[in-house]
Amino acid sequence: MNKRPRIGLYTLVALSVVISFLPIVWLILTSLKNTAGIYAWPPQYWPDPFTFDNYVKIVTESPELLLYVLNSFIVALGCTLLTLTIGGLAGYALSRIKMRWGAVLMVFILAVSMFPPVSLLPSLFQNFLKLGLLNTYSGLIIAHAGLFLPFTVWMLASYFRTLPPEIEEAARMDGMGLMRIFLTIVIPLSWPGFVATGLIVFIFSWNEFPLALVLMTQNAMRTAPVGISLYPGEYAFPWETISTATVIAIIPILVITAIFQKQIVGGLTAGAGK
Amino acid sequence: MTVVQLDRIGKSYGGFKAVEEFDLTIHDGEFLVLLGPSGCGKSTTLRMIAGLESISTGLLSIGGAPMNDVEPKDRGVAMVFQNYALYPHKSVYDNMAMALKLQKMPKAEIQKRVGDTAEMLGLTDYLARKPAALSGGQRQRVAIGRAIVRTPKVFLFDEPLSNLDAKLRVKMRMELQELHDRLGVTSVYVTHDQIEAMTLADRIVIMNGGVVAQVGSPREVYDTPADEFVAGFIGSPSMNFIDLRRNGDDGWTSVEGHLALPPLSFDTGQRADLRLGVRPEHIEILDPGADDGIGMTFDAKVLLAELLGADALLNLDVDGIRLLARVSGTEHPVAGDRLRIRFHEAQLHAFDCESGRALERGVPTLVS
Ligand SMILES: Nc1ncnc2c1ncn2[C@@H]1O[C@H](COP(=O)(O)OP(=O)(O)O)[C@@H](O)[C@H]1O
Ligand SMILES: [Mg+2]
Repeated sequence: MNKRPRIGLYTLVALSVVISFLPIVWLILTSLKNTAGIYAWPPQYWPDPFTFDNYVKIVTESPELLLYVLNSFIVALGCTLLTLTIGGLAGYALSRIKMRWGAVLMVFILAVSMFPPVSLLPSLFQNFLKLGLLNTYSGLIIAHAGLFLPFTVWMLASYFRTLPPEIEEAARMDGMGLMRIFLTIVIPLSWPGFVATGLIVFIFSWNEFPLALVLMTQNAMRTAPVGISLYPGEYAFPWETISTATVIAIIPILVITAIFQKQIVGGLTAGAGK
Repeated sequence: MTVVQLDRIGKSYGGFKAVEEFDLTIHDGEFLVLLGPSGCGKSTTLRMIAGLESISTGLLSIGGAPMNDVEPKDRGVAMVFQNYALYPHKSVYDNMAMALKLQKMPKAEIQKRVGDTAEMLGLTDYLARKPAALSGGQRQRVAIGRAIVRTPKVFLFDEPLSNLDAKLRVKMRMELQELHDRLGVTSVYVTHDQIEAMTLADRIVIMNGGVVAQVGSPREVYDTPADEFVAGFIGSPSMNFIDLRRNGDDGWTSVEGHLALPPLSFDTGQRADLRLGVRPEHIEILDPGADDGIGMTFDAKVLLAELLGADALLNLDVDGIRLLARVSGTEHPVAGDRLRIRFHEAQLHAFDCESGRALERGVPTLVS
């Protein structure tokens, strides 16, 4: 047997893991250095002195960071729930109803998400101002949901297409209505799809910058990425504060991913068919 | 009394006619099989009866009531799917009880019905399991049980045994037969497997390319196929076909090779050609010396002999024509043997070369 493709595959995987993790490792190391250590030349690979001062300092001196994280959490969670609800229903309709222009509609939905979000900002800002949605959670949740819905519809519609339609037909013959089929059959069977899509949307929303920057102007309403980037520095950019705050801000995401990743892997359709 | 009536029922997808209009009355308690090759419109027909597919033209009635616009659940039909279509996240009990729960039947009654059905199907020990923890045969039994508990007026089966291995398929086929004898519910059964059709059916509807080719009992479709398609589809291995041309003596000569036949007792009219059909199991191998010269006898050479077990298949060269014969598997001839074979006139079939329609039996028409 030819083993070379596998070795190539492993190399590629290892490479991509290293490339994507190096910045995070460097970020964590930076958060454990003091200012001198950060600017040292040649660069310090291992923090010397190794210190948790930055963490103590940030918790005691800038309690607003926790507020930023909480804001991010509320917005990301709200956005995920809203997106999954609308995207799930839309995706189900698009995957099951035979429409003459179904395929065109799908492409159209995706095309919408190709506009850079920044181009939406002026009109979004004006309308949100009129509607009183600036500096509200629901405002940013709606804006983010609009941004990530096309992706969600596509992900979920393609997941639904993998379910054997006979299960839903059997449910129809058993006497279930469409909504009941969706809630009690389709959602449980597509759970891995919902979890995977929801996680991605959650992370997108958590990290989203331009809309969060413009639509949340009060300091108390800022999300983590915006709040952290606006930390004032006196003479220099406060790298130690920013890296420490960033580490704190990614912890919730790591926790959530860890909780749900098992669900992504375990498929639930086993036993449905042959 | 549950009679299912199909009145000029047809189905089109856009401009494509998946099922041409046809009439059919399925009698009370009848086991009707829709048989045909893949893509011939069997499932579409069944799904129109189930209500999963809209009816393009015609009228469907079940038990005398028009059903065209009635929801599947209100048609009094239950369906068993090829891939079982069980709810994978629910237990066997919940799978079987679902329809009754939705009908808001009292819990005690549901338990009794599901319990009885499970007992009948040998599923009692598996009621708490999820479908994933069952074998293929058990899953199909659950699917059948799910249909039975509803006490439907009509059972619909769409290739329910095709996902099972050969051995299990035979076993389940017999179980289905017993079940039907016991319950006596009108059933429509779709399959592409002629053995399933022959063994289960009271009547077979043979479809070809969306068109109903013949409706008849297993005996009828085997003995008197309506056309060449049915003749070739029913029977295994397939019927041998020989193209014949009328010769000067009102006998017939094969187009290929040089097989000569006497005038045939079919209603051939003035036809100059026809297609003769003879089943492999109807080619008689004569014992040496047993040739009394009666009937149509020919010299044959065995090109290949395949032992199937009880039977053997012989590839014969008969006057330049290749014919397949099926003989008993004990002491069958082997490749290279020279034989004498006989056709029995009553077992021959004749078809029109253009339309493929079977020719009626009759007096030979003499032209010269
Ligand atoms: N939803 C559909 N749209 C278009 N054509 C279809 C559809 N469903 C089935 N067909 C076509 O109708 C014909 C009959 O299909 P079907 O009834 O499933 O055949 P089978 O006899 O194998 O069960 C096939 O040619 C199939 O391609
Ligand atoms: Mg089919």
